[in-house]
Amino acid sequence: MHCVHTFELGKSAPRTEEAFRAFLRETSGGNNRLLALFAEEYSSGRFLLHAVAGGSVPGRFVHACVETSPRSFRTFTDVCPGAHLFEREIYDLFGLVPEGHPELNPLRFHEGWPKRSFPLRSVGAPAPDARRGYRFLQVRGEGIHEVAVGPVHAGVIEPGHFRFSCAGETIQNLEIRLGYQHKGIESLFPGSPGMGRILLSESISGDTAVGHSTACARLLEAITGNPADPSAERWRAVALEIERISNHCGDLGGLSTDIGYLFGAAHFGRLRGAALNLLLKITGNRFGRGLNRIGGIGPRVPGIAQEELIAALGSLRAEVESVGATMLDAPSVVARMEGTGRLLSRTAATLQFVGMAARASGRDVDARRDFPSPAYVEAPPAKVLLDAGDVMARAGVRVMEMRASFDWLPGVLTGAIPPGTIATEGNAPAAGRRLIVSVEEGWRGEIVHAAIVDDESRITRFKVVDPSFRNWPGLLFAVQKNVISDFPVCNKSFNLSYSGADL
Amino acid sequence: MLESIRKRARTGKVTLDLPAGDLPTPFRGMPVIADAFRSANVAEECSRVCATEAIDPEKKTIDLGRCVFCGLCEEACDGEGIRFSQDPRLPCGKREHLVLGGREFPTVKAAPDLRSLLGRSLHLREVSAGGCNGCDLEAQALGNPIFDLQRFGIDFVASPRHADGLLVTGPVSKNMREALVKTYEAIAEPRIVIAIGACAASGGIFRGSYAVENGVGAVLPVALFIPGCPPHPLTLLYGILGFLGRSPEKNPRR
Ligand code: SF4
Repeated sequence: MHCVHTFELGKSAPRTEEAFRAFLRETSGGNNRLLALFAEEYSSGRFLLHAVAGGSVPGRFVHACVETSPRSFRTFTDVCPGAHLFEREIYDLFGLVPEGHPELNPLRFHEGWPKRSFPLRSVGAPAPDARRGYRFLQVRGEGIHEVAVGPVHAGVIEPGHFRFSCAGETIQNLEIRLGYQHKGIESLFPGSPGMGRILLSESISGDTAVGHSTACARLLEAITGNPADPSAERWRAVALEIERISNHCGDLGGLSTDIGYLFGAAHFGRLRGAALNLLLKITGNRFGRGLNRIGGIGPRVPGIAQEELIAALGSLRAEVESVGATMLDAPSVVARMEGTGRLLSRTAATLQFVGMAARASGRDVDARRDFPSPAYVEAPPAKVLLDAGDVMARAGVRVMEMRASFDWLPGVLTGAIPPGTIATEGNAPAAGRRLIVSVEEGWRGEIVHAAIVDDESRITRFKVVDPSFRNWPGLLFAVQKNVISDFPVCNKSFNLSYSGADL
Repeated sequence: MLESIRKRARTGKVTLDLPAGDLPTPFRGMPVIADAFRSANVAEECSRVCATEAIDPEKKTIDLGRCVFCGLCEEACDGEGIRFSQDPRLPCGKREHLVLGGREFPTVKAAPDLRSLLGRSLHLREVSAGGCNGCDLEAQALGNPIFDLQRFGIDFVASPRHADGLLVTGPVSKNMREALVKTYEAIAEPRIVIAIGACAASGGIFRGSYAVENGVGAVLPVALFIPGCPPHPLTLLYGILGFLGRSPEKNPRR
């Protein structure tokens, strides 16, 4: 399968630090990208760093690992800027210090945590604790003032703290402190019973329940040697595209709210609901919870006849197209969104941003093409790419992606799709220490799940990478030199998940 | 401009009247417990597949404060012990009201003194405390033209200073605990706390993690729990209206 890969860890010896550095350097070029960088305590007090990359050749994953001292390793951010947040995460979870890291602020843990507690580390951390309080970057100069927002924001939305340094109305620098939603989700996967892991994955980021649970289900299927049949895979793809449509509608409604365009807010709010109600009819839940099982899809899925679904998608499409066209043509909308919050394609490439936001900055990355899952292998939805990188482009990409999904869905829904069979969980064959990686294109961008299993196929380390984790820094670059009153619309145009980033 | 006016006329009224009736299958709403559930092996069978430990095979109960409505128990017993109806009205209220043992249908108890206190309006500050954003999105959806929370005089406000109470989602992550308490303290007394979703009631699927408090009750006094994962917007509406003593069966506007 192009979207899942198994590495036999017994067969690939850890590299030297220099070779590992070279591996990471190579991940920053063209479509090749770092999918995940994470630590593992493979036996008491002994640590490996794992890097997984890929993207330039469809379905090709590469992996490298290196043994590190139980205290620290030399940072890799200098050769691979995309490693920046991963290294901060490794420090918080394992107490391994990335020496020379440009900005080692705590990511997962806040001031109230006990010193020397590193939750994924079994043996005590080396003293002393290098962790210090959070230090915000300070901009100095005449007329510079700071605006602090959050963690509790004005709207009905997740928490995070934003610190703006402004000259007058203009943002000189924005720093975002996250971690408020950290709930230790990676630590819960290994000990959870099989289906419990699917339920956990549905709650990584509630708006991406289908994307995450699909990536997770395929990973567990690879471990248990129990792949889903093609009809189940078709239903998964149908749900993924409807999830994309519901969220894109929601975001266009949110953008409308933020610029006071009430027509768009009301209609897209309603159309988002219509898309969620289709997911409810397929899976029994508005967010698609209940779709996935290990080895297939739920026995009650789909709860709607194919013809009825095709017809409903047709009328939803007509409405989305007309409201979208009215919105993107409205002079008041164009005036607020054009040129606002520009993310340069050079920045998007250097920092390896992914998904819809990257595609609005001319970066041609899409897991449906680069790591296609079964239903996308032959003909994925049409490619959508814009290069302006502003809020208008991110709105435009959403409208065009919905069109591509609406074009694609009737094809995959035509012809008999029996509701997928659901196999029993299966007993995982014992097959040596392995690393399994699974990738799927969620509506924000690519979702990566990785698991290390021991000789008896028990999961010992589970890693989740939500596209938000990789894209949050994009917002920082996009808002620079914009007026602070445009921040909400810039933020909404990315609409990143706090929960997905904080795990 | 003309186009938007035309569209408005074509769309007409979309707001749902209450009570809205059952949702379509395969929606998983209020569970119906059959007699067979009280036989030893059926409850046992159901509890074995339950990842949230919501089913107590000894006491033969199902705790909607833990349940994430995954439907696995119904599949395991083939609907003989537990079957999910399509009714979005779930028992809401104190924590213990969420534990179901029989076929009785506990309804929300109106908080006795709220009416005299608040009159016909309720303003809530929402705080997401370690949730996955599912509950937040359904709370947000209450503001859309379909559910239109404002028609009942209920609304979300930006500042706790303007609020009568809190609507909290999530298991309360350790990192949000302080911010949650401070937001609560910023609300003038008397103030109420509504906890929505399985996480806010019990920690939900995250119960037992090193990074969470296993529910809002561990941190603040909760006046109303609304179960679900996430609760459907209608479940939220019925829960809040019932709590205010405005049953949707009568005229909820009064
Ligand atoms: S539906 Fe609720 S009670 Fe049944 S298995 Fe799922 S979590 Fe447990």
